[in-house]
Amino acid sequence: MATRRIFISRSLGVAVLGGTLPSFFGKAAVADPLPALGSTIDPRNVLVVVQMGGGNDGLNTVVPFSDDAYHRVRPAIGIDQKVVLKIDDRIGLNPVMTGLNELYKEGNLAIVQGVGYPNPNRSHFEATQIWETASPERPVATGWLGRYLDRVIPASTAAPSNATLFTAVTLGDTVPAALIAQHVDVPAIGALNTFQYNVGKDAASKTTANRLYDGAQPGVSPYLDLIQSTARAALHGGEYLRGKIASYQRAVTYPVDPFSQQLALAAQIIGSEVGTRVIFVSIGSFDTHAGQRNQQDRLLGYLSNGLSAFYKDLAAHGNADRTLVLTFSEFGRRVQQNASNGTDHGTAMPLFVLGGKVKGGVYGKHPSLTDLDHGDLKFNVDFRSVYATVLDKWLGRDSSQIIGSSFDPVAFV
Amino acid sequence: MRTMLDTSTDPQVGFRPPGKLDVATALDRYRGSFGKRQAAHLARRTGFGPTAAEVAALTELGVDRSVDSLLHPSEPDLDFPAYPDAEKLYDPKVRNGVAKLWWLDRMLRTKHPLVEKMTLFWHGHFATSINKVPANYMAGQIDLFRSQALGNFRTLLSSVSKDPAMLIWLDNRYNVAAHPNENFAREIMELFALGLGNYTEADVKDAARAFTGWTLDKNGAFIYRDQLHDPGIKTFLGRTGPWNGDDVVAIIVEQPIHQRFICRKLLEYFIYSDPEPELTDALAQVYALSGYDLAKTVGTIIRSNLFYSTRAYRALPKSPVEFAMGLMRVMDVRQVPGDIPFWLARMGQDVLAPPSVKGWDGGPTWISTATLLARFNLVNRIVRAVPPKPPAPSAMAVAPSAAASPAPAMTPAAPPPNPNLFAALTPDQIVAQAGGIDAGKVLETIVDGAVQGDVTSDLRQTLLGYLNATNATLPTPFGPENYQERIRGALALVLNLPSNQLD
Repeated sequence: MATRRIFISRSLGVAVLGGTLPSFFGKAAVADPLPALGSTIDPRNVLVVVQMGGGNDGLNTVVPFSDDAYHRVRPAIGIDQKVVLKIDDRIGLNPVMTGLNELYKEGNLAIVQGVGYPNPNRSHFEATQIWETASPERPVATGWLGRYLDRVIPASTAAPSNATLFTAVTLGDTVPAALIAQHVDVPAIGALNTFQYNVGKDAASKTTANRLYDGAQPGVSPYLDLIQSTARAALHGGEYLRGKIASYQRAVTYPVDPFSQQLALAAQIIGSEVGTRVIFVSIGSFDTHAGQRNQQDRLLGYLSNGLSAFYKDLAAHGNADRTLVLTFSEFGRRVQQNASNGTDHGTAMPLFVLGGKVKGGVYGKHPSLTDLDHGDLKFNVDFRSVYATVLDKWLGRDSSQIIGSSFDPVAFV
Repeated sequence: MRTMLDTSTDPQVGFRPPGKLDVATALDRYRGSFGKRQAAHLARRTGFGPTAAEVAALTELGVDRSVDSLLHPSEPDLDFPAYPDAEKLYDPKVRNGVAKLWWLDRMLRTKHPLVEKMTLFWHGHFATSINKVPANYMAGQIDLFRSQALGNFRTLLSSVSKDPAMLIWLDNRYNVAAHPNENFAREIMELFALGLGNYTEADVKDAARAFTGWTLDKNGAFIYRDQLHDPGIKTFLGRTGPWNGDDVVAIIVEQPIHQRFICRKLLEYFIYSDPEPELTDALAQVYALSGYDLAKTVGTIIRSNLFYSTRAYRALPKSPVEFAMGLMRVMDVRQVPGDIPFWLARMGQDVLAPPSVKGWDGGPTWISTATLLARFNLVNRIVRAVPPKPPAPSAMAVAPSAAASPAPAMTPAAPPPNPNLFAALTPDQIVAQAGGIDAGKVLETIVDGAVQGDVTSDLRQTLLGYLNATNATLPTPFGPENYQERIRGALALVLNLPSNQLD
């Protein structure tokens, strides 16, 4: 039977990208459900990807407070060294990030400095595509985590079933480019109570909808099987998930902002073992062209407080050691502040990696504030090195098949 | 030697209908019967979901005149605004939503459905995104697609090469002799006209040189700047000369591989997925002989034996736009509600914001748990939403006559809900059409109106069980007390049937 995208995976060799490009994007996805034999990687490991949409200003996130150049280029929006949460004698965290500071001190937070890629793109749309597909040179159809999923879930799986449906979930309304796979279906769970056939009080309508799809109906359309089996998975999946996670008790009270609430659901899904390996969450509005301090500080507060609650909840349930959080943003921002007390689109920025097994510390060099490329920071760590590390050392997949070879690992895990 | 069309990136491969195609007669003119189901099939494929009145009108016209009226509408279209509200179009907070609704509303109400359906086809083909290109340029590009929707492909390709939105989208505005930018030159071959593997990197380089100096003036209009153009000799697809962009377009459309490339894509839009190479070849001949005439090419498809055969019937999944528009048209929603762009994004087709320059892959990629749940719940939202009742008369308005006179202007009342944003089709209309509150007759009316009767007898029994509440724990027979709610419930279920996911 046909499943979505299964057929392209047969013949993709040169296909997706053409002969001039490495074949790893298009290589037929040979599923390999388990990490290599002898691997010490826990097969229950979970990756939580946090998208900071809009382009987060790295210099006011991890502040190079001892650098005079920083205060020169940011007379109005620079952060005073008296208030930064000092990491060492040169850098410190934005003062709102007390939660992440605590996690850093406990050794569970890694900061990767100066992450970027060659010939950086400053369009939100295109830069996001680049980060999510891990393909700076040209557009590709699948995301970096989608290609991971294509290797974890056999293409022969006729239809999404409860056993594999929640391998990756996005806690939003639409599936991000990072999770677009050739043949794997990724549920979009904007909220738990919307991931179902919504009919209010008319319960009979819901049971009837199930009946309409439960029995496969005959027909000649080549798409009928796919539609019916996917609909069955959609109609029953929510019920299955809600049932599985119902008994989970949160160990902390999460902040009420939407991002923290996404993390609360993420902890619940991780703690209920529905086979989830990847969770995608997002927090937006980092596009601070004007009045940056108020806006970015508020958002970084959500980020830090949310992740702090999340980590405590995970730890209380014994899940912190098998969860790794990775943040990303499509670009950092211009070094020099602009005339509206904001910053414009830039390039490299720091990423956070958080987890019980993460080797805390600072990785990579802070980019120079004076040796610039058209007013922007030069990157030191290619973002694909970070992805490769996560794939090889955390998810137990050969990263060269997913994002290409020759990216040096970063030692945070 | 024949150049092969590389179909290996096409996710629709594998979804060709079973059975063998009779190529010899496939594109011959259809002379069979043209009843309600054939007319509805034609209307679905060439428009945005037929109403019962439209099906009846097409059936009356017969196949030839129906197709003529779609290809060459004799009456002008409704008086749609050429652009979205100019003030809002430049407001960064609302402009994207305004532009999306401006176009979706036209799809909903147009009297020229095939023109608009082809406009959507070109939007997916020359996939440009409002996430990079400002809304006013996007609106201009959609107008361009509409004006040449069924025109000549060579002219269209040349116009698109000069379209400001495209010059921004693929950076050709920065393509100058001193520093050629290959972005547009590559995509015109890979995605717009030839397909991967049918050109070399040297072709890309020289095509880029040919398009140098095609840029924007300070008002954002196309301008050719001679001093930025590379006038040198180029070799493109084996032809050598001092080519400019229009020469490149002319050379491209002459390639047999281009003719097959574009015809395959039209067949996947109008007939079924993964069409047979022999069928593609046959249509490519029609296309080449017509001098790249799109009306003649599309006309050949929608007049053909194959188009009206069981091979093509309900053989494609509806795109999200087709699904949402069809739903609103069946339910008689007369203006696109403001949340529809968000629903389309959830269903995987954020209009004016395709995922990349490759456009939407369509076919099986429309179907996932996330997108199907969005379809189901959009149906539930549209079918069950009823406009809020007008505010109750205030306690002071004791006499019934007081309700008719203007209320004392003490507290400003909330503006009344716009009834055009709600389904005008009511359960009472269905009862009237069915001839009474009779579950069987009501179900037939719904099934007939929503999916042209395409429901198996098993499913009809299940739906009857819902109307009659024979499966419920507290069964209450279908009757005057509950018919409103039950009919809305049954309508939603029918619109969520597998057959309504298929076009």
